[in-house]
Amino acid sequence: MGLLSIIRKIKKKEKEMRILMVGLDNSGKTTIVLKINGEDTSVISPTLGFNIKTITYQKYTLNIWDVGGQRTIRSYWRNYFEQTDGLVWVVDSSDLRRLDDCKMELDNLLKEERLSGASLLIFANKQDIKGALTPTEIAKVLNLEAMDKTRHWKIAGCSAYTGEGLLEGFDWLVQDIASRIYMLD
Amino acid sequence: MEDEDNEEQTLQKKHQLMLERLSARHQTRLETRKPDPSDSSTTSAFLSRFNDSKKSIAAKIESSTDPSRLPDISAAISDLEKFVAENSYLLPSYEIRSSLKTISDLKQSLENLTSQLIPKKKFSFKKSKPTKTQIPQPDTVSVPEKTTSYPIRDSPGFRHKQNQVLVQNFKGSEIGEFTISDLDSCEVKLIGCVNALFLNRLKNCKIYAGPVVGSILMEEVEDCVFVLASHQIRIHFAKRSDFYLRVRSRPIIEDSDGVRFANYCLKYEGIEEDLAVARLDEETGNWANVDDFKWLRAVQSPNWSILPAEERVGDVDLANLR
Repeated sequence: MGLLSIIRKIKKKEKEMRILMVGLDNSGKTTIVLKINGEDTSVISPTLGFNIKTITYQKYTLNIWDVGGQRTIRSYWRNYFEQTDGLVWVVDSSDLRRLDDCKMELDNLLKEERLSGASLLIFANKQDIKGALTPTEIAKVLNLEAMDKTRHWKIAGCSAYTGEGLLEGFDWLVQDIASRIYMLD
Repeated sequence: MEDEDNEEQTLQKKHQLMLERLSARHQTRLETRKPDPSDSSTTSAFLSRFNDSKKSIAAKIESSTDPSRLPDISAAISDLEKFVAENSYLLPSYEIRSSLKTISDLKQSLENLTSQLIPKKKFSFKKSKPTKTQIPQPDTVSVPEKTTSYPIRDSPGFRHKQNQVLVQNFKGSEIGEFTISDLDSCEVKLIGCVNALFLNRLKNCKIYAGPVVGSILMEEVEDCVFVLASHQIRIHFAKRSDFYLRVRSRPIIEDSDGVRFANYCLKYEGIEEDLAVARLDEETGNWANVDDFKWLRAVQSPNWSILPAEERVGDVDLANLR
């Protein structure tokens, strides 16, 4: 029995999904995770290192790895790539100046072989801020249409501040992963 | 009495059994998840192998005097990093963190060695974005703001000014995010609440701002004074600047030095209501809890300090300025 089938079996039993949250600093990764878990989001310090949250979502257990986005610690992202089922890339839609940085880091990430099977959800966060780019505009800037055809991806607008759009995004992600891993469902 | 004892005993027995079951389950989980049967799959084996490599690399760094050996050492560190990454799924998070810390220390000492052996490299430290060199970049030319494949509108803000006093009142405005960039010797007064504030490339400026409901992001500032209140603040590439802050979370600095911190001291008519709206009406004391991402150690970072009380400006009342 190959390793992959063992993992599939374990995961099937536990209905577990491993989700990696990444994006530039100040994009709102931690706020999204806490908001979706119904926790207080009014006091969140920039993430030094990473947080892990286990959330029961529908009938699945999500292990969400929320990794700090500061430049100094971005090189450690790759330590979290193994076994990732879903990748959530968070964009600060109001940070017009760093969209190039954002695109570059995302492009680098998607070259990563260990993430090649992961479903990709792009959150165009901070839609509550006036002047923020819309998800369609973000998709154009990031040139998402040019992505590898085998990748399952979706872009969704959201506001971690109000909570709007978060569930829709995660619904898609979880369904997409489930349809790949748990074919029988 | 006896009954109670008996009950307790059975309960204890049950508890014991449960613990055994749990530990057995944990064990089988660990075993089934083994990526390969090599000796690296248990924590202790991992640690011993990790420590061996670490010692050998450290020894190499210590004894090296020949610049041509640097790439070898760098490769060895990368291998070690890869080794940790491969095992990260199995390791307790403390081990992951401490291993990563060790690796970053090794990288730091290699960097120090490199700058000793190849003095020319010192120049790259002065560049504004030194850490970028770690990441393999497809486009080595730094891209100016306007060359994105898709035209992006500018956010509202103050840009490219010298020796001016700039005032913006957000009250009743539709502005969500505001940018202040490329200013030299200016004084900026922002009144009212705004959602997000971006500050870039400022020299010798004084920035006074009412509460920011979301976050402040700052890059490349020097010889400035900031009086700011916000939920989050991130300070990058700052030099010789003073920050008078009120923040709900811990302020962070990265690639900065000579920065000093004190508590928020801004006054203008109606600031109390603005602070209350932004939920910043209470002093949190967080202005002194600075995290330095370039100094992940328990001892105080040399890059920042508390501004001595006698050097603080005292209350700044925007009505009295100029």
